[in-house]
Amino acid sequence: MSGSKTVPNALGPAWASWLGIVAVVFGILLTAANVNEWMIQRVITSDGAAMQGMKPRCPEDELLEEGISLEECKLMIAKVRIMVVSRPNWFRDFQMSLSLIGAIIAFGSIFVGLALVQYSNWAPRAAVVTFSALLVIDALGFAAATNTGPLLRATYLWNILLWFSIHLIMAAGACAGQHIKDTD
Amino acid sequence: MQTQNFTTTAVIMHWLIAVSIFFLFISSWWMLALPFPSIDFKYRVFPFQLHKNLGITIVFMLIILLYVRLRYRPTPVFSAGERPLLLRLAFLDHVILYILIFTCCISGYMSSSYSGWSTTLWWVLELPHWGYEDEELNMFYSDIHLWTCWALLAFVSVHVGGALYHAFRNDGFVRRMLRL
Repeated sequence: MSGSKTVPNALGPAWASWLGIVAVVFGILLTAANVNEWMIQRVITSDGAAMQGMKPRCPEDELLEEGISLEECKLMIAKVRIMVVSRPNWFRDFQMSLSLIGAIIAFGSIFVGLALVQYSNWAPRAAVVTFSALLVIDALGFAAATNTGPLLRATYLWNILLWFSIHLIMAAGACAGQHIKDTD
Repeated sequence: MQTQNFTTTAVIMHWLIAVSIFFLFISSWWMLALPFPSIDFKYRVFPFQLHKNLGITIVFMLIILLYVRLRYRPTPVFSAGERPLLLRLAFLDHVILYILIFTCCISGYMSSSYSGWSTTLWWVLELPHWGYEDEELNMFYSDIHLWTCWALLAFVSVHVGGALYHAFRNDGFVRRMLRL
């Protein structure tokens, strides 16, 4: 650590700093969540062992290693079966595409957040576009999840509604920021 | 060498590590609820391989980040009203974060080594099998992996909380790690 100190970088308006850091934090979480959703759909196929009536393997040493009971181990198969049984045929492909696009836009939103904190000239408009795109992704995901069975709706809907609310706040904030910038 | 901000490499590594860590947390909670692997049940194979690949990659990214951070140190930012104790705590949080990330990744790899499962880095490079199948050592490293990861999540929360605090104050601190 050096003893010399410097003044802060040139500061933009407070709203841009606040919205920017929020976009970065949520962008990181949403990118991770979308890649995870893509992986879930990739791994759980309709023709896997869980759908062929096979019994899961539950050796005692592995139960001990993961700290779970025999009952829990047997129920793990239900997690896979719920996904396969409750989703319509089109859901897997749709969800994989949507989560991939969502991951890309969410990753982009991290950089939009960085640009907002720096208060780059293009950042407010890019924020409006990016956060609105995330809203559309949420709406599409919500519409898709409402067309699944109740077991998947219970898993997805509340989660998506939460993200929709977050993106609505961010998009409204970006629009307000853009308006402030235009009137300045 | 001193610079005003963090280097582009440091910034990119920082954010890539951040996304990777959160993905590893979220995906691990999900994949550990999948049926145990067997000849028929292969649900865990892809998620575990991806988990190990990312964990190993994080170690390399962390080494690069540490190198560029030590090689090109940004000058500390002066902020009115900044308390020296907070600065010292922030420094300590960073050091603990680096140690936890490193320990978490290495213990995960060691646990895997003693589990009898092989690791092919990004499905291309077969990594040497340092360990042998040993349930006790697997459990030992697995426990270290588990607890260091929980601790990491706690310290990441402190780190993010600190970053938010500075961003809401708009005092220029976080701006240095947000500049490409």
